[in-house]
Amino acid sequence: MSDGEQPGDRAPPATGRQFWRSLDELIDEPAFQARLARRFPAIARHAGDWRRRDILKCLGGAVALAGLDGCERAPDEEALPFVEAPEGHVPGIARSYATAFEYEGIAQPLIGKTREGRPIKLEGNPQHPASRGATDAITQAALLGLYDPDRSAAPRRLGAPADWALFDTELAALRERLDSTQGSGFRLLTGSTRSPTLLRQIGALLERWPRARWHAWSPVADGAGSGLPARQTRRLHLGEAHATVAFDADPLGPGPLQTWHATGWGQRRRAYQAGDGAAQLLVAEPTPTLTGIIAGERLIARADRMEPLLRALARALGVSGGGSAPRLSPAEQAFVAQAAKALDEQRGHGLVLVAEHHAPELQALARQIDAALGNLGRTSELAAQRGGPTAASLAELARDMAARQVETLFVLEANPLYAAPPALQFNRLFARVKQRIHAGLHVDETGAASHWHLPLAHALESWSDGEAADGSILLAQPLVRPWMNVRSRHELLSGLLGDPTPDRALVRATWALDGPQWAAALVQGWVDAPPPAQSAASASPEERPVLRTSSASATGLSLLVRPDPSIWDGSFASNPWLQETPKPLTKITWGNAVHISPALAEERGLANGDLVRLEAGGHSVTGPVWIVPGQERDTVLVHLGHGRSAGSRVAEGVGFSATPLLGLSPDADVRLTRMEGRDEVVTTQAHFRMEPDEFVRFVETAADPLPPEEPRPSFYPPQESKPAWGMAIDLDLCIGCNACVVACVAENNVPMVGKKQVAKGREMHWLRVDRYHSGSPDDPEHAFQPVPCMHCENAPCEMGCPVNAAVHSPDGLNLQVYNRCIGTRTCSAYCPYKVRRFNWFDYTGGDPPELKAQRNPDVTVRQRGVMEKCTYCIQRISDARIAAKKEDRPIADGEVVTACQAACPTQAIVFGDVSEADTQVSRKKATGRDYDLLAEANTRPRTTYQARIRKGERPA
Amino acid sequence: MQTGQGRSELAQVFPPAADTFLRFAVVGIALLLLGLALGGWEFAESTYVTQEGWVEAQPVPFSHRHHVSDDGMDCRYCHTSVEEGPHAGLPPTHTCMTCHSQIWTGADPLAPVRQSQQTGEPIRWRRVAQLPDYVYFDHSIHIDRGVGCVECHGRVDQMPLTWRAKPFQMEFCLDCHRDPEARLRPPQLVTRMEPLGWSEAQARAFGRRVMAEHAIDPGLLDNCGICHR
Repeated sequence: MSDGEQPGDRAPPATGRQFWRSLDELIDEPAFQARLARRFPAIARHAGDWRRRDILKCLGGAVALAGLDGCERAPDEEALPFVEAPEGHVPGIARSYATAFEYEGIAQPLIGKTREGRPIKLEGNPQHPASRGATDAITQAALLGLYDPDRSAAPRRLGAPADWALFDTELAALRERLDSTQGSGFRLLTGSTRSPTLLRQIGALLERWPRARWHAWSPVADGAGSGLPARQTRRLHLGEAHATVAFDADPLGPGPLQTWHATGWGQRRRAYQAGDGAAQLLVAEPTPTLTGIIAGERLIARADRMEPLLRALARALGVSGGGSAPRLSPAEQAFVAQAAKALDEQRGHGLVLVAEHHAPELQALARQIDAALGNLGRTSELAAQRGGPTAASLAELARDMAARQVETLFVLEANPLYAAPPALQFNRLFARVKQRIHAGLHVDETGAASHWHLPLAHALESWSDGEAADGSILLAQPLVRPWMNVRSRHELLSGLLGDPTPDRALVRATWALDGPQWAAALVQGWVDAPPPAQSAASASPEERPVLRTSSASATGLSLLVRPDPSIWDGSFASNPWLQETPKPLTKITWGNAVHISPALAEERGLANGDLVRLEAGGHSVTGPVWIVPGQERDTVLVHLGHGRSAGSRVAEGVGFSATPLLGLSPDADVRLTRMEGRDEVVTTQAHFRMEPDEFVRFVETAADPLPPEEPRPSFYPPQESKPAWGMAIDLDLCIGCNACVVACVAENNVPMVGKKQVAKGREMHWLRVDRYHSGSPDDPEHAFQPVPCMHCENAPCEMGCPVNAAVHSPDGLNLQVYNRCIGTRTCSAYCPYKVRRFNWFDYTGGDPPELKAQRNPDVTVRQRGVMEKCTYCIQRISDARIAAKKEDRPIADGEVVTACQAACPTQAIVFGDVSEADTQVSRKKATGRDYDLLAEANTRPRTTYQARIRKGERPA
Repeated sequence: MQTGQGRSELAQVFPPAADTFLRFAVVGIALLLLGLALGGWEFAESTYVTQEGWVEAQPVPFSHRHHVSDDGMDCRYCHTSVEEGPHAGLPPTHTCMTCHSQIWTGADPLAPVRQSQQTGEPIRWRRVAQLPDYVYFDHSIHIDRGVGCVECHGRVDQMPLTWRAKPFQMEFCLDCHRDPEARLRPPQLVTRMEPLGWSEAQARAFGRRVMAEHAIDPGLLDNCGICHR
């Protein structure tokens, strides 16, 4: 990558054409001037005299001639039918398969949609309780991971391409050695996986070679202190929790449990809206999280204040174990009093949560409170662990490596050279291991430093199984046959044991189902396995190193290191869909920042983008700061996953790595020093700004309607049609998780543009999630607002288009006809909601074939120079319309589900026919909380919003 | 203001014929533009662009006339998915070989078919009926409503080699979407190639009945979103 080029920017198209931004820029280029002087000395003399007007004249001529392009005869195309058509295949009709995608040890239940054998979209499995059809952003983007052009395609030995046969020979020698030494010196390091088949294979391995050891490690679960119960010891049922008090915990935040928790929360909140019980959320936290933002009460408190707060709560509820009365500030006292009142009122339906990176005593105390109030077993239960081999930790591996007891290290789906805490000195120790084998999707930092790198099959092209968030067992079946020379993790392990078996047979052997049972399990996507017996051992808190947030340090700063909300621990850093997704809270794309509070920024004189060095425990990172309203004064937050140095072109060089700050002792001093210079942080927060309005409206309780509004007069006749499509977005349910944004990208072939273009406000997302603050920057009220196209009945864009490319359909869609559009961008200027996106460049033409294979064939891939925007997923409407017409019936309510609606875990987005009173969307719009965005523009938008409800108490 | 006196000393800039040149030039340019416009229009409408009646060279000289007229095969024997999905579908090699493993087993023109069967490589046909990528056409709903194959594909039963019978341009689609009446037929006759022998009035009367029965509203059929997404 050359100097000045931003990471993540698109490589020039395969045609070799380089784009320039303006003609002036091209002419000023010294190389161009030199070439001109050489070939046309006469022109070169005048080249500098070119005026803007002359250039425009030439441009006008070129544009006029470009019209001739339309006279071209359509190029000949080939049609390649099958030799043997697969059974049941109908060209143009999608087929769906139940499957699963595991990350951070939790499998997500999915339905994979394929067209002509190519997976084109993932949806949540609507039958499974851990999804109910919803997905999170990371799972949505897993599809692109399958097609990643930078995925490792062949085995590599000492960095040079090799073949599997050579590896198998080496493996045979290794096996012989291990058989003779009972596996002495052999270590297997995996990421956090709960796949029963993999555990079974590891069990067999340890049985055959008793002196070998298995280490499992994840940077998030084992050190980052994500605030997430990644090693889920306690399973939450937020659907049952009428009052939840969370201490630094973020159950609705990004991660593998988000869908499960948010589905439950949405269910509870909708019931509350309908008058059934309460849905209270009280959160004490040092930095704004998705849970904190949606909470009725949010207390800003340092991470080390969680202990006194929880003890005070225990005392207030009369639970022993609270100890002596802690000293609390008035705000803290008020919070504890409110929390105690809420929990007391909701005995049996309350829930007390403490983030899992806090001390086990605190976890125990929270459980004690729940037990005393009769909540245990209803709002949460202990997650029983399935049997299997026990894994040792990464620290133990490092210790043994230091003692030179490790001869062969097999790293499966883990990247310790990037993500291991610096205290372990893993890089140095790794180089001393005699035989290093790495299996992964990319030649990442660990792969590059290994003797053997083995390309792993992606989860969506291999067989596996995994444990869902609710504890059930999911089967993962491939959506496509691997097209590269890869092996699945199960095949690798069976090969290691000298019995190479296809992964399908391995998974099937784990579950020992007969033919019909196996077929039924594959159709539904899960195995009806009995839940594991709750052993006494699993009831006690799991013993593992606890990372306390550094506290009481000299400078008074408290450091939080958390996984990135988009790319997690870095495993998804090569995914442009996730890199370009604006992070929920900061709207930062393509990178990370040091999050600080407004007060700290003022004190240190720091502005957004100023470079700082963050030091703790002798380690430091350098990065730009970002001021986060509502962050605790002395709390500093950094996200993991960035600053990759190998793996893929997309991942490398984006942001800075926070790994050096992992695994610090709690007493480490945290220092923030200003550095020279600035680094560009690209955020979409200020993009597509609308005229001032009361964007997000609030009501106090579910029973309060918004003040009625006078209907505004209009010169335009009212639109009446059947069906009349419309959308309702309930801001009381929206948690800002971005699942809808990535689902829209996947469904509608939305191109990614890279960091430089995003910085210019040219991101192409059809659906953006706006984030608003109100009140003081130190403790503002936060709100999210997803903004797709409003499909206005009186759409200003349609009035502005000179070529009638923006037109209205009889069923109320605001259409954009790409083949008519000439790119004047008038519609975008006229749009008060700023939801139209312009293709400044050919963002897709130069894509490699594997990315082209991912695209949804039902949606036009837009060309350079045309405007595009949300279509209400018109391809899904068309499918439903054709299906209904064939049966001569109207389209049923709920038959058309837009991509954003399907992905939403809280069901905040509802779509349907607004001309019927009895549809879900009409009922939503009739709640009394319904309002139009920018109502004074009188565009009569078909997308309307439901006001957020401040409180969640049961109505008196 | 200056009088004409000073000017008389200057030489004439334009010769006396300049006006005439100008007049010719104005008319000439106007004619040229008109000619270009008309020529461009004619070109765009020409069969060279629409490919109407142009035969594509195919790897196998497949004759629809022989298979339909002589052998009496129905369209759906090979184009199996026409009633179910958006695409009519091209037959897999296997379908060709159901017969050609028995008859014409050694015929030279069929060598690519046999080769495909042996190697597993698909036959590379050149597309005849082809729409731009931004047009989404669904065969199944047209068949369901009783639009005969012949309406768009012409008398395929009379084509020794296949050509495009109709100009697949937007105007052609819209003609029917705006006035489907005379182009509807009973669903069981959709694949019939010969004329039904109905008078215009009979066809329209039948079409009106179908449109009433299925609530086909031409007013909804010409909106952009029906075909463009």
